Amino acid sequence: MTTNGRLDVRFAGAGGQGIVMAGEVLAAAALRMGRSAAHSKAYGPASRGGASRSDVVVSDGAVGFPLVRRPNIVVALTDEAYRKYGHDHADDAVVIVDVDVAAPRNGALVAPIVETARRIVGTDVASGVVGLGVLSRSLDVFDVDILRGTIAERVPAALEDANLEAFAAGREMVG
Amino acid sequence: MNEPRLIRGNEACALAAIAAGCRFYGGYPITPSSEIAEHMARELPEVGGVFVQMEDEISSLGAVIGAAFAGAKAMTATSGPGFSLMQEHIGYAVMAEAPCVIVDVMRGGPSTGRPTSPSQGDVMQARWGTHGDHPAIVFAPASVAEIFELTVKAFVVAERTRMPVIVLYDEVLGHTAETVALPEEVTVADRRKPEVEPEAFLPMLPANDGVPPLPAFGDGYRFHVTGLVHDERGFPSDDPAVAGALLRRLHAKVENHRSEIVDVATSHLDDADVVIFAYGIVARAAEEAVAMARRQGGRVGLVRPRTLWPFPDAEIAEAVRGARLVVVCEMNLGQMLLEVERVVAGSVPIAAVLRGDGEPIDPDEILAALDRDMEGALP
Repeated sequence: MTTNGRLDVRFAGAGGQGIVMAGEVLAAAALRMGRSAAHSKAYGPASRGGASRSDVVVSDGAVGFPLVRRPNIVVALTDEAYRKYGHDHADDAVVIVDVDVAAPRNGALVAPIVETARRIVGTDVASGVVGLGVLSRSLDVFDVDILRGTIAERVPAALEDANLEAFAAGREMVG
Repeated sequence: MNEPRLIRGNEACALAAIAAGCRFYGGYPITPSSEIAEHMARELPEVGGVFVQMEDEISSLGAVIGAAFAGAKAMTATSGPGFSLMQEHIGYAVMAEAPCVIVDVMRGGPSTGRPTSPSQGDVMQARWGTHGDHPAIVFAPASVAEIFELTVKAFVVAERTRMPVIVLYDEVLGHTAETVALPEEVTVADRRKPEVEPEAFLPMLPANDGVPPLPAFGDGYRFHVTGLVHDERGFPSDDPAVAGALLRRLHAKVENHRSEIVDVATSHLDDADVVIFAYGIVARAAEEAVAMARRQGGRVGLVRPRTLWPFPDAEIAEAVRGARLVVVCEMNLGQMLLEVERVVAGSVPIAAVLRGDGEPIDPDEILAALDRDMEGALP
């Protein structure tokens, strides 16, 4: 899955779904695991809606080129974002999509990510946290306790328990 | 060194400014530079500094120049449209010899263009955007760590030359977080102050390096500041001899400090058949392309200027000596390409990888150009 000890991860979604925070959590967790990381993002002029991406490179050594090229993992939360950013991935990539995505590739894991965020936390912003849960269970790279701890630091204190529940719900989506 | 942590480019720029002693920021927020202003607004008061949000970018640089004469290390940051508005005062800072730092986080243009997309479209504007036959000093960092390093250096060079110094990078570097261990201390410089009594002070009488000492307003030295051609007393002059000498001195300041200013990084040049020329974030793609080409057995090297202006003529000429192909990569339709062509002067064929669509250049595009433009570049 990884090339030269490098893992390229892409979150794609709409503004307001928490994908930037999800990327930041993953990058910060990687540092705590003794790796290096880079986090980049692309978004349009609007602060809500539209298609955006939040990219993380995790590397055993120093990160060379800091931008994601052909991701090893894609987590796509909207159909628009999947069509714009979800396709150009590695052949053996893990692809995780929300049920909103109309035509995911064969073998993609399809899960009710955004709906779960709304149900448990009450807001779309937690979708990235649910996505992190799915991702963390889909590949054995990230220390789950470190991810939990990093999420807890990043979310408002009043929503910490709900976000950790959302993360756990994401993990349960992987059979 | 401090512990490695994730730092975004714009945050590194602000941290570097404060570490270098910047205590005044005058600015007007604009994507993709606004995080610099946010950070300075939050942190400057903590260190006794002043943050002022001005009504536009013209007044922003005006305030910075005023702060510089009041004795502060001062900066502003902007992007393309604001950089255009600052051009008049950049010339004023050159002429009045106000040490200051201007950061331009480049986005797609012309005009308001694409606010959230990267570009390297301002590299010639940074050199020639303000009118008159002026010198320019411009640094182009290629990583978050280099944004920190070269922003500190910009303050050092500004203080030592009494020049506005420009730090130029793009939206991707500004918004990307990298794992960086910041230094615990940085080397700073302070402007030279006059050593004569106030009565004997000639404000524009230069020292041996062409740079006049600069007192702060309130130090007890009286001086006049003007954008007009002026004599050593600092007052306007219409004498051609004064005008010619002043212009030559403004240029000589840069030449006299060239070794502190010009900074070029190279890798894998010893046996290189192909030399890639790239700067900023594009140099990161070029580094990756060099590594990929080397794995395939291609003899490919890289020259990346960290100083764009003054253009490092001698260093570039040396880097491409013996090459069979030079590949210029930049996120515009060919600006520094013109400088490379001037320096190479027909001695080596030049290919170009140019992008103007607001997407970063990928290492694969550079490799494809090697394959296309030189048979056997990639065995």
